[in-house]
Amino acid sequence: MKETIYTSQSPLLAPRVFLRDVRADLGVVYRIGWQLFVRNLKVQVRQSLLGYAWLLLPSLVTGLVWVFLGRSRVLNVASGNVPYPAFVLAGVFLWQGFVEALNCPLQQLSNAKATLAKVRVPHEAFVAAGMAVVVFNSLLRLLVLLGLMLWFGVPFTSKLALVPLGLGALLVLGLALGWLLALLGLLYADVAQALPVVLNLWFLVTPVVYSPPANFARWLNLNPVTPLLLTTRNWLLAGAAAPAPGFWLVAGLAGLALFANWLAYRFATPHLIARF
Amino acid sequence: MAAPTTPPDAVVTVRNLSKKYCRQLRTSLWYGLRDIAAEAWPGARPPAQLRRDEFWSLHELSFELRRGEALAIIGANGAGKSTLLKLLNGLIKPDAGSIRLRGRVGALIELGAGLDPVLTGRENIFLRAALLGVGRAQALPLLPAIIEFTGLGEAIEMPVQFYSSGMVARLAYAVAAHLHPDVLLVDEVLAVGDFDFQRKCIHHMMSYLASGGSLILVSHQPHHIQAVCRRGLVLEKGRLAFEGTATEALDYYFFRQLADADRAAQAQPVPTLSPARPVVIEELVITGAGAVVLAGEAVTVALTYQALQPQENTCWGFFFYTPDGSTCITGAYSQSARLAAGRHQLACRLPRLPLTAGEYLVKSIVAELTTLQPLAMRGWEDAPTRLRVETPEASLQANAHRMLQQLTTLEVEWNH
Repeated sequence: MKETIYTSQSPLLAPRVFLRDVRADLGVVYRIGWQLFVRNLKVQVRQSLLGYAWLLLPSLVTGLVWVFLGRSRVLNVASGNVPYPAFVLAGVFLWQGFVEALNCPLQQLSNAKATLAKVRVPHEAFVAAGMAVVVFNSLLRLLVLLGLMLWFGVPFTSKLALVPLGLGALLVLGLALGWLLALLGLLYADVAQALPVVLNLWFLVTPVVYSPPANFARWLNLNPVTPLLLTTRNWLLAGAAAPAPGFWLVAGLAGLALFANWLAYRFATPHLIARF
Repeated sequence: MAAPTTPPDAVVTVRNLSKKYCRQLRTSLWYGLRDIAAEAWPGARPPAQLRRDEFWSLHELSFELRRGEALAIIGANGAGKSTLLKLLNGLIKPDAGSIRLRGRVGALIELGAGLDPVLTGRENIFLRAALLGVGRAQALPLLPAIIEFTGLGEAIEMPVQFYSSGMVARLAYAVAAHLHPDVLLVDEVLAVGDFDFQRKCIHHMMSYLASGGSLILVSHQPHHIQAVCRRGLVLEKGRLAFEGTATEALDYYFFRQLADADRAAQAQPVPTLSPARPVVIEELVITGAGAVVLAGEAVTVALTYQALQPQENTCWGFFFYTPDGSTCITGAYSQSARLAAGRHQLACRLPRLPLTAGEYLVKSIVAELTTLQPLAMRGWEDAPTRLRVETPEASLQANAHRMLQQLTTLEVEWNH
């Protein structure tokens, strides 16, 4: 029969037990996460008149607005060989994926606070369900983007096959930061307050709607989103195949940070619940 | 002091368990951050003593629960009962001491938690089962039994937001009950259900215990505790104040509460005679032949009153209550009595006290004879008289009374 012992000791002092618990939890995360994902979809549809149309509608409207702006030539920003609307949309959609991944843990866990305080359930399940929505939305946005690329005559190249890798790296970076923000944000409300302001500023210093100007390129490259976003956009819009400098470094560090921050959250869990 | 030995069939063993909380929210958040940092630095042990603004929610608590046993946790609000259940459920971490659990723990702590208001009852069964670690495929064969147990009928296809709190309780209890954990933690969840459902739950808990399950019940309902649990713990300000049978624990708890009420009552001035209050009951005393009151023996009941003026056509009465003051076991009204002006006594004799050994409350009344309209009361608004009945000698019958939690005895003439 399974024996469980709870003491005040840090789980790091009994790493084998800790890893066994992690493994046991991950075993059920998929099952619970899937149920929660299906629940989220159902709830979204049942409480609205337009139902599943809402899954596609926001990206479609954004896309159409940019098509209109492109046709009326209101905007005249240098974007290389690619039509500016496609360039901007690719950037915005990728940025949205990153931001959603970053917001996901804090948002999901805050919403589930009442349940988490009373029911013993792996918190990862709620984040996994949230991330499933983020991935799902990102794929839908890519679909809209591919439609627009067809409209604007941007060629489809074999580099498109690399896009999931770039998008994945962006989501991993967002999620890595998201776990840390969840840890702090579940304690202090300041995090949720400051997040929109910081993200707005971050958007401005990331080459989402513009190409990085040569004299600022060095500074913009310090922003970890820049290499990931530029590289993925190039792969999408038939640009350079070689990743931007720092792509692999950022992707690797993001993976490590994701692991470290997730573990930190696990250590923090009982202390967070005690304060819910 | 030697550590208490753990019985071999213990499924829950709690040793010197302590948990502290902070009174100030902001300080609590800061301590939280420091405790999280200490987790990553295993050398840095969390401080065993209290920091500023902290208090012990649980302190040095030790007990065990054996297989097939039901244990009641009794205590006032804030005594640490919910903290204990959260610790046992692994939601929060002890600050000192240890909990050793054998088997899977199921918890019915707050029934509404984890249910989605938009989904139907049926969909919520799967969701809740998933949250409790049981997948759709495993839950599917249990579905008919769960729906049957809820007794919700067609309402099972209705969104849960249209359910009453009793219906939510039915749904949540039914799911948790059918997943058969080794240890079930139940926290004051039956109170919202109707009588039929409460009966069903108690019946379920009994059969769960009979099949080898173990249960920890937190409840403020004495009859739920007495129906399900053999053993009880009383917590006071996070410490173990009493451990014994469920009935003894309830007696202890209610008498502690009454002792507090007595102190409060003594602090109040004794009501004085006035035209608005023409009769006052000063005290009610019950005495046996010896120093103590014995079950089945003769006792004298004496009521001391003060009256402003003489009154004809009155009567007086006294009533024995359970220690929680909620159930009147038996009582008696006198025939016509005459009250004289001034301070006097009314008395009667019970040839054989029909109560079993235990703690009781006695309330008394002086009333008009024809209408039974009270002229003076004692024990309702103020503290009732406390009565401790002891057994003449240890006997098989006295033990049986205790086992059955029997309150009164019957005089019977057997025809054989």
